[in-house]
Amino acid sequence: MNCELLKYLIENHSGLLAPPISGRVADITTVFAMEEPKDSRATPDTKVWDDLVVIESISPGCLSFGNLETHQNTDATIEYIDVETLRIMMNVVEPGTYEVEDQESGKTVAKARKPDANLSLADRLDTVLESHAADTPNQQKLDRLQQALDVKPASHVLGRERASKFTPHAGFIPVCANKNHCSILSNIATISNNKVVAMDANKVQNADQDCPGLFKCALSKIHYIPNLKPQTDPSLGDCSYLDTCHKLNSCRYVHYLQYMPESLANTTAASVTHINEASTRNKHICLYTQGLNCSVASQSILPAQWIQCDVRKFDFNILGKFSVIVADPAWNIRMNLPYGTCNDSELADLPLDLLQHEGIIFLWVTGRAIEVGKTSLQKWGYQVCNEISWIKTNQLGRTIVTGRTGHWLNHSKEHLLVGVKGSANWLTRQSDIDLIVSASRETSRKPDELYGMIERLVGPHARKLEIFGRDHNTRPGWFTIGNQLNGDKVCELDVKMKYNRYLHKQGRSTSPRFSAVT
Amino acid sequence: MHSTHISIKSANENSKKRRGNPLKPAAQVHSNDHTEHYVHTSLPPQKFVKNSQNQVEGYPNLQKLFRLKEKHVARHATKPYGCRVNIDEMSSTLNNWIHSDKLVFEVVMIGCLTDNQFIYPLLTSLPIDRLISKPGFLFIWGSAQKINELTRLLQNDGWAKKFRKSEELVFIPVDKNSPFYPGLDDNDEALFEKMQWHCWMCITGTVRRATDGHLIHCNVDTDLNIESENLQNSAIPAHLYRIAENFSTATRRLHIIPARTGTETPVRMRPGWVIMSPDVILDNFDSVAYQAEIERLGTHLPPRSEIEALRPKSPTQRRGP
Repeated sequence: MNCELLKYLIENHSGLLAPPISGRVADITTVFAMEEPKDSRATPDTKVWDDLVVIESISPGCLSFGNLETHQNTDATIEYIDVETLRIMMNVVEPGTYEVEDQESGKTVAKARKPDANLSLADRLDTVLESHAADTPNQQKLDRLQQALDVKPASHVLGRERASKFTPHAGFIPVCANKNHCSILSNIATISNNKVVAMDANKVQNADQDCPGLFKCALSKIHYIPNLKPQTDPSLGDCSYLDTCHKLNSCRYVHYLQYMPESLANTTAASVTHINEASTRNKHICLYTQGLNCSVASQSILPAQWIQCDVRKFDFNILGKFSVIVADPAWNIRMNLPYGTCNDSELADLPLDLLQHEGIIFLWVTGRAIEVGKTSLQKWGYQVCNEISWIKTNQLGRTIVTGRTGHWLNHSKEHLLVGVKGSANWLTRQSDIDLIVSASRETSRKPDELYGMIERLVGPHARKLEIFGRDHNTRPGWFTIGNQLNGDKVCELDVKMKYNRYLHKQGRSTSPRFSAVT
Repeated sequence: MHSTHISIKSANENSKKRRGNPLKPAAQVHSNDHTEHYVHTSLPPQKFVKNSQNQVEGYPNLQKLFRLKEKHVARHATKPYGCRVNIDEMSSTLNNWIHSDKLVFEVVMIGCLTDNQFIYPLLTSLPIDRLISKPGFLFIWGSAQKINELTRLLQNDGWAKKFRKSEELVFIPVDKNSPFYPGLDDNDEALFEKMQWHCWMCITGTVRRATDGHLIHCNVDTDLNIESENLQNSAIPAHLYRIAENFSTATRRLHIIPARTGTETPVRMRPGWVIMSPDVILDNFDSVAYQAEIERLGTHLPPRSEIEALRPKSPTQRRGP
């Protein structure tokens, strides 16, 4: 440890923190070098920084640094020097150097920071205004306590790490936000039949001279380029429907086309395959199986299963128990939707206890149904532990702000209630946040991102059920029921047996009823 | 017809000529999975929402409407009032306003973006319906957990008869370093890390969307806001006030903050609002002066034709020929 520096900090702390030095490490380095005896002046500049870091690491919090985001230690500043701690540190190295008040360690600091009585009133006001609660020793202690509280248990850290290892990469391509780029590319692009069919590399290269960085950006990012047609009036702004507009050939608002070079698509796809292959190999030596079955890496996933049925009348005993249930009921909220709706009471009367002893449920709700959903969950024995918001975006990745989508205010999001029943210690909690940002698709179709979130929470082999599902909801590892599905497919033997018995019984009991009616 | 045919042909020729064109467009449309991206990079999905800095980006008419409304509201705003009251004295002060000063507000907002709020005790300890005129609007902000607790109020008939919950608003901090990140709310039981604040928007009395344009302007704002980066350090993002200002045309607005926010996040003043908080930076409220000012201003903004022309309206029913 650099004792000279330590001593220097103790003796000059107020001067170093005050203007003009204001705690800048670069300036402290210079001033300290001037103080030092001639022979040791050769100390390189980075050494002072390294020494400061060493001092700080001996007693965390004795120096607090600012501006560290830039990762350049030349910009770093010292915001606070805990002189008392430094004195104690010095005394350990050279006993008796300083007198330390052992009871009230904050006292000396407070004294040192007291404004000088001979300052003008205006100056004193300035010091008060500039002072920050983070400078006080009290706040420092609170910060340290907060830091200690923020430490996550190992199970959480391991769970998150596993979630990230088990989640396949999908390839993320950034979107360029530079409007200038988009309009230049729009002038160069050849657009035909509402598709970008060609992009002249030479012209882009030429344009790069006036707009540096354009060529590189075009190579590495997605651009949404205006699809200007004879009828387009750019002063009107963007179409509310964009790529889902039905009147593309007459709409006067601006529409956009996604442009991305094929080379970028190919390199992204190749690197994703490479990463995913590597992680599949690594999965086989997964040591942390807490909450999952121990053959999680090698056991195959069940194929998609579904049964077309009227959920309100179906015998849930057939299906067995599930770890997770997803339900997207067609709430009766006085809107003309292209499918039958379901009454509040009909939903609350579903015997969900037959499907779950312990586990979690996801219930999509809108408007008035938020409260109905919460009461239904309570009635079924669940505790609402999270509310996920799905932020609906459009083609350009913006939230939806137009089109009178709600009664009083426009609606840019939908709510998903999450309920938990029992102690469910096997869940891998908090790998995800309670938000989904994803494009809206057909009416009432929900984002697929949710399936990944659920898989991280309950593991790939947990039994998963979706009620009120449609054909696009069926997927491996999931059981889907709903009246809009096509036919049925069951591969779990016990379910198959019970289902066949049920069908048989149904056939017997319904046929006489039919004859009675006719 | 003819011209498109030619352009396809020439495009094909071009691509044949430059076989190695690095900018040749991809045939497939790509879409990013932000949830997957978060799991691998810890960058939260809301960071990639393109209009979080300017919600109405791309819509010049809406932008103009927002500007006009902002100016209109500012022109007819009372001076900013602060009323510094301890949390335990709030309901007695408000009761005093109701009973002896006969104060009433069309817009009442309760709460801010902090934990440890005493919303339920406040709501149940005063006749809030007498503080709010009819029709009037009540906005209650808090953590999702706190707002969830208010469901009890709806189950209580007396309250539910007076106030109808009409919308649920959400405010989202941009990331975990945001001053609005609801860290304290994150208990170990939560299945997902919490990144949002909720608000109940309640209506008392009768307003009709189609006919009461002098009282409310519907569908101007949305029920979601993502923190924009250039916010002043404050316990309340300006957007929370703006939603109420854009929706109701009333000039009497009260904001009650039943929580200590501390010196780190000051409660700032806002023209057109009376702000009651234990930490509000000014304590200048005087009910006589306030009522005199309202007398002069009027209780509602006068209609402005430019705004009427631009604001979204319910479709009018066509009459027969």
